[in-house]
Amino acid sequence: MNEFVEQFLVECRELIEQATDDLLTLEGKPDDSDRLDGAFRAFHTLKGAASIVDFDAMARALHGAEDVLSSVRAGDEPVTPDLISDCLTCLDQVSRWLDAMRQDGEIPADADAAADEVARRFDRFRAGVPVAFQPLPWIEALVGRHPDVGATVALRYAPDRDAFLRGEDPLRFLAALPSLLVLEVEDSGPPPPLDEFDPFASHLVFLALAPGSPEAVRAVLRGVGSQVEIVDLAPLDPARAGDWPELARGLLEAQLQLLDVAQPDGLLGCIGSAGAVVANLLRHAGRLSEVAAIDSAIAASHAARRADVLSEAIRRVLSGALPAADRFEPELERRIPTETAARTLRVDVERIDALVNLCGELLVAKNALGHAAVQAQTGMDQSALAALLKDQHGVLQRLVDELQRSVLNIRVLPMRYVFQRFPRLVREMVVSLGKPAHLVTEGDDAEADKVIIESLFEPLLHVVRNALDHGVEDAATRTAAGKPAAATITLRARRESDNVMVELSDDGGGIDVARVRAVAAERGLATSEALSSMAEADLIDLVFSAGFSTAAAVTSLSGRGVGMDAVRTAIERLGGRVAIESRKGLGTTVRFILPFAVLVSRVLTVEAGGQWFGIPLESVLETVRIRREDVRPVGAAKAFVLRQRTVPLIDLRETLGEPGDLATGDELDVVVAAAGGRLGGLEVDRLGERLDVMLKPMEGLLSGMPGISGTTMLGDGRVLLVLDLQELLQ
Amino acid sequence: MTLRLSAQGEVALVGDCSSADAEDLLRHLCAHPEAEIDWRRCQSAHTALVQVLIAATARPIGPPAGEFLARFIAPLLNQDEHRKNGVEGRE
Repeated sequence: MNEFVEQFLVECRELIEQATDDLLTLEGKPDDSDRLDGAFRAFHTLKGAASIVDFDAMARALHGAEDVLSSVRAGDEPVTPDLISDCLTCLDQVSRWLDAMRQDGEIPADADAAADEVARRFDRFRAGVPVAFQPLPWIEALVGRHPDVGATVALRYAPDRDAFLRGEDPLRFLAALPSLLVLEVEDSGPPPPLDEFDPFASHLVFLALAPGSPEAVRAVLRGVGSQVEIVDLAPLDPARAGDWPELARGLLEAQLQLLDVAQPDGLLGCIGSAGAVVANLLRHAGRLSEVAAIDSAIAASHAARRADVLSEAIRRVLSGALPAADRFEPELERRIPTETAARTLRVDVERIDALVNLCGELLVAKNALGHAAVQAQTGMDQSALAALLKDQHGVLQRLVDELQRSVLNIRVLPMRYVFQRFPRLVREMVVSLGKPAHLVTEGDDAEADKVIIESLFEPLLHVVRNALDHGVEDAATRTAAGKPAAATITLRARRESDNVMVELSDDGGGIDVARVRAVAAERGLATSEALSSMAEADLIDLVFSAGFSTAAAVTSLSGRGVGMDAVRTAIERLGGRVAIESRKGLGTTVRFILPFAVLVSRVLTVEAGGQWFGIPLESVLETVRIRREDVRPVGAAKAFVLRQRTVPLIDLRETLGEPGDLATGDELDVVVAAAGGRLGGLEVDRLGERLDVMLKPMEGLLSGMPGISGTTMLGDGRVLLVLDLQELLQ
Repeated sequence: MTLRLSAQGEVALVGDCSSADAEDLLRHLCAHPEAEIDWRRCQSAHTALVQVLIAATARPIGPPAGEFLARFIAPLLNQDEHRKNGVEGRE
């Protein structure tokens, strides 16, 4: 891909983000002129960018939205949810094009149809006509007068009064249609007396019927713009109103075939064009409720790079089984990974400058070391040499530390990167759940490693969804409890020393502890005795257990069996922890405590059976020394009691299959650690030191080794195996 | 010259008639409401001109030379028979 296109993609993404943000804010505060200006500018700049790369379809799609926003600025058009939705849809389409362009750097070939589709959404603002897709009376009358001409497209062309003055000749446009079937002049009552007739003003309104596709007609009449309404007739056939007319059915089946034979390299284009055709058909058939479902199927199909998602939806359209409310949510999750991974990093020049300076200093240090080597060769005094080397080591240590910090700083992204996607999603969820709520984000500027930021979206989405679905009460319940009808969901991030905290709070009903207890008992997560004696916090923690879901009704948003356990796993995989706090009637807070950087990991080194292991320090609770006789066999395993809690004891040598003599001392050293909500004691021969290590993931043959998450090299050249406690404690 | 006016008040539309011809035609028809219009040599006509013909409920002598005019515009003028009567009936 050439640099030019790459730059275009990066800039457009930023503009889309900004525009989305402005539009969503504007929806809540229609009077916010700054946001309005911001959105308008973003659309305008996007349009300009499109023209620069000769992406005409994109410019056309954006033009309509830009016009509408311009009318809003002029006070001619109010801000309505529909208007915001149309603008967002336009951005979605642009986003899809950018995705396609990222693949091969080429402007999508099928962009024209989609652009028309988007542009048409804005026609109604300009022409002041009712929403274009609904059957209009003139069509029925026109088709009624010419029932058997084989027309598939009807059009109503009302030239502006000053069309002639602009040099337009409406009939010439119509004559350019290759196979016009019927042309009529709309009856607008008796003409004015000739002596009052203004020959320079256009008075006529033309009605016409034509064969072919609306797209083809639209292409011919492109210069006429909003003066013409073009309507696809195929689905209007009243005799078969319930079913698909033959032509439409044929079209739908053709799309299925197209998707069946789609090759990987043209897949996205096929999905886009097939989806656009189906959405058009639905729209003209007045099955508007299904359009949304198809739209989300297109998005899902795109993201998953699988045609079968859309195929399935089309089959359901054909069989009339596509439920309007079906939002294809499961696919929403699938589309996440491709979207979150940033290919490029924008790095502050200052950070690069810092690296360059460090390089210079390292060079100096290297030369100094060379000097020391020469001195050693020439027989320098031992103690003087030692002092010199120690000195040099100190300098090197400082530089390497700084280098490490600088490199890690380059990889950081602001939380905004993941947060900014939520306002839009929350808006959609709120609509689909029918519970009013608004999202507040705080700490967008808090930074964390790129890997962390990019992996945060999915767990956060899940938690946000849970909060809206289960946490937040419906408006009536809230009002009865004396709370504002609209719930507030707060997404918050902040840096705390080496950690980044990300919190999601809702002001909902809080977790119903009694219900958790009942469900846990029902699902057999713990015995009822254990449950009744359990502390409240521990009970609440049970929501992280696999297979736990308290939703009475499974909704499309959550409750699909991927529970909070998946969230915990995802966060712990990043080296973080999850905590949950809930107060009945006041709300719930889910907190992710994440390391600032994933590359560096703090470990406690231990020796067992002659091999050194690293235990991630964030999992270590304490180290204890217990007497051998206190270890009791529990079934095939062993356990000991620590402050009235039974802790399973894991012998590292046995578990990892390390050869080595069994320790025989009276007392043993045990590292008590917790991971995945489980507690365990690791029996070790010796405790080592705390180390900062750069963790290398296991590769090749070793990657399948259970219980080991990675390796790192120790200062003396030995390899340290870092334990995967989550796996060990399972 | 695409609009030829004879002393007897006859009008001939010839070749490709432009929007400028519309004004001339209108002026002429105002002066000679019953003027005969001959468009047998007319290839094409600007919408403005067709609009004048419709407003004047004219029934030109045809068929016109241009295919589009013959197929689509001529019927617009001829089918106006009932409307013409209606207008006259009201007056």
